[in-house]
Amino acid sequence: MSSTNLPTTKLPKLTDAEAATAMFEAVRAVAEQSFFAVAEPGDDRTFHAAAAKVPRWLVATVRFEQGPIAGAVSCTLPENLANGLFDAFTGRDPGEPTPVSTLVHDLVGEFSNMVCGAWLTRVESGRTFTLSHPSVEPAVTPGHAGDMRLVAAIDDLPVAVDLRLRPAQA
Amino acid sequence: MRILIVDDSAMMRAMIKRVIKLADVPVDAILEASNGAEGLELLQKHDVQLLLTDINMPVMTGAEMLREISMNERWRGLSRVIISTDGSTVRREEAADLDVRCYLEKPFSPEVLRDVLNELADNEVAETD
Repeated sequence: MSSTNLPTTKLPKLTDAEAATAMFEAVRAVAEQSFFAVAEPGDDRTFHAAAAKVPRWLVATVRFEQGPIAGAVSCTLPENLANGLFDAFTGRDPGEPTPVSTLVHDLVGEFSNMVCGAWLTRVESGRTFTLSHPSVEPAVTPGHAGDMRLVAAIDDLPVAVDLRLRPAQA
Repeated sequence: MRILIVDDSAMMRAMIKRVIKLADVPVDAILEASNGAEGLELLQKHDVQLLLTDINMPVMTGAEMLREISMNERWRGLSRVIISTDGSTVRREEAADLDVRCYLEKPFSPEVLRDVLNELADNEVAETD
């Protein structure tokens, strides 16, 4: 829950309890408003128990930068949740052909983009950040926490959101 | 009405298109671009009445594209809507300077976008009358 990479005047605001609450609120807003899904707060024990049953994950990362503040937000979701969110977002009937992975990755990237943007708007509404195009990678485990990890459940499936801070590029 | 959607997410463009088709808006064509530079190219080639654009995009951002548009007399009548995750006060103030008629913050429900489109279409009709 801490980092030594950035000026200390900036770090507390992005990694403190208020920022973690704002991150969950961002996840909930994105899940409910754009994906018609239910997001609930989680805890490490419940997350790890549920995560052990997940064979494949997708990790979508969006980098953000503004002056001395820079970092990345990664959303890690089970692949079957990503497919469910795809159906909700596009209105795809489950009987239709399975969407190609590039489209599912695009959608998970947009999910992460919305979470990152909504969170930054909540914690630093006076600044305007540059967000990168999302990168999406498959994974077999949900990875490790960064400077801050939020665990939650969306439609009863485990989700992790990691924040990593780094010095801004010169 | 010709509508141009500019967003680097193909899925977001598809979702916006779907909502446009559900809205009570007379549509002749829906054009798509994945960044501001592609958007400007399409605006040069086609007569577009409504622009829906994201902000953070590779190659050319939505803000850069809107700056170009605001400097060109040809696009004075173009209705501009921002659809972005960036809800900062700074960005909203910048949008006001760029003649943006509506700033829609992601995430949003399809109904919110539909209402925005219907309102813009009503205003278009009122201005034409």
